[in-house]
Amino acid sequence: MVHDDYKEMIPAHALSALDAAEEQALNEHLENCAECRKELEDWQATAAALSLTPDPAEPSPQVRERILSEVRKDLSPSEPEVIPFRSTSKRNIWSSFGSLGAIAAVVLFAALCIGLAVLWRQNKELERSKEFVELVKTPGARVSELSGTEPGRSATAKLAYDRTGRAILMASKLPSVPQGKAYQLWFIVGNKPPMPGKTFVPDSAGNAVLKDEMPREAIDANVFAITVEPERGSTSPTSPIYLRSF
Amino acid sequence: MLKAIAARDEAALAQLYDRYRVILFGLLMRILNNREEAEDVLQEVFLQVWRKAEDFDENRGRPFTWLVTLGRSRGIDRLRTLAARDRVAEAGAREAVEEISDAATDAFKSEQRGLVSKALAQLPDEQKRPLMLAYFDGLTQSEIATHLGTPLGTVKTRMRTGLMNLREQLAGKGESFGF
Repeated sequence: MVHDDYKEMIPAHALSALDAAEEQALNEHLENCAECRKELEDWQATAAALSLTPDPAEPSPQVRERILSEVRKDLSPSEPEVIPFRSTSKRNIWSSFGSLGAIAAVVLFAALCIGLAVLWRQNKELERSKEFVELVKTPGARVSELSGTEPGRSATAKLAYDRTGRAILMASKLPSVPQGKAYQLWFIVGNKPPMPGKTFVPDSAGNAVLKDEMPREAIDANVFAITVEPERGSTSPTSPIYLRSF
Repeated sequence: MLKAIAARDEAALAQLYDRYRVILFGLLMRILNNREEAEDVLQEVFLQVWRKAEDFDENRGRPFTWLVTLGRSRGIDRLRTLAARDRVAEAGAREAVEEISDAATDAFKSEQRGLVSKALAQLPDEQKRPLMLAYFDGLTQSEIATHLGTPLGTVKTRMRTGLMNLREQLAGKGESFGF
C-alpha cells in the first residue's frame, strides 16, 4: 500500500469504522507520517460535529460527585504498593518480614524495570515501557504476572494497574492468532463471571502492549486471564485460557 | 482549562464537566441507550481526562474534539462489550432523559447543534446512514455493508464522500463551533 491508499482510509478511521487489519496497517503508517496524522486530526474534528446531533441529556448529580470523589482520592498521597507476582501468600510472608519485604519490593521493582528494558528494545517499545513503569510508580499501583497455560505455554505477560482503573498489559511470546481472532483480557473477582477487557493482536514477534481501563468492579480482581476470541471481543470467554495470573 | 487539569486543578475538572456534561451524556445515551451505562462511561471519560489532560496538545486539535473523540471512543468500547445485549428490543423504548437545567442549556450551544443537523440533512440518505451507523453504533465498514446489503466498496465510497460533504458544509464555521 502507498501513501495515497492510507490517506483514503483516514476518514473512515476518524469514525473508527475500519476493519481490524486495515486499522492496524493504517496505525503503523500514522506513526511515521506526520501529514496523515494532521489529516486524521482534521477528519476527527469533522466527525466530532456529529456529537452535537443527539438530544442533550442531563446525567444524575451523583456522577459529578463520584468523579470528584475519585479525583480527591487521587490527590491524596499514599504509598505505592507493589504486589509480588503470583500469590497473595508471598505477600503475607513479606509483610511478616517487615522491612525485608520492603527491600524485596524495591528489588522486584528494579528487576521489573531491567526486564522491561531488555524486553522492549526498540524506541517505540521503550516509550511504552516507560508508560508502564510510570504507571507502576503511581500511588496504589499494582503489578500482576501472567503465565502461559498449555495453549500458550511460552507466553508471559505483566499487567500494571492503579486504583483508578488505568491498566497496561505487556505481553511477549504470544502465539499468533487465526484471521478474525484476537486475544482478550479478562478480570475475575472471586467466583463472579469474568469481566471482559479489550482485545489485542500481537505483532509478528508475538509482543503486544494493551492499554485498558478496568471496570470499577474489577479493581479488586484477584485473577487476570487472556483467551482467544473473535476480534471484536466476547462478553464471556469462549476459548481455553492462554495466560493467567496465579 | 485542560492545562489547569493537567496541573491537578480539581476545580478546573469540575468546570469542564459542568460545561460539557449534557453534550457528552447526550452522545453516550445515543450510543448506549442506557442511563446507567452512559453515566458509568461518562464518569470513566472524565477520570480519563483527569489522568490524560497532559497528553492534550493544543497544536493538534481543539479541546472539544479531543473530549468528544475520547467520550465517543469509550462509549463505543462499552457498546461493543455489551454486544450480547439485545439493543434492538431497547431501541423502541428509548429511555427518557431529564429536562436540561438552565445552566446546562446555556452551556450547550443549541445554535451549533442546529447548524450540524442542517448540514447533515443536506446529505443524501445513502451517505448519511453509513456515517450514523459508524459514529453512533460503532459498526465497521464491513458490518455496515452487511447491515445495508450494499457492496463494501460502495459503503467505503459513500462514507468518505459523506464525511467530505459534511466538512464542506461546516467549512468556515469551525471557530464559532469551538471545534
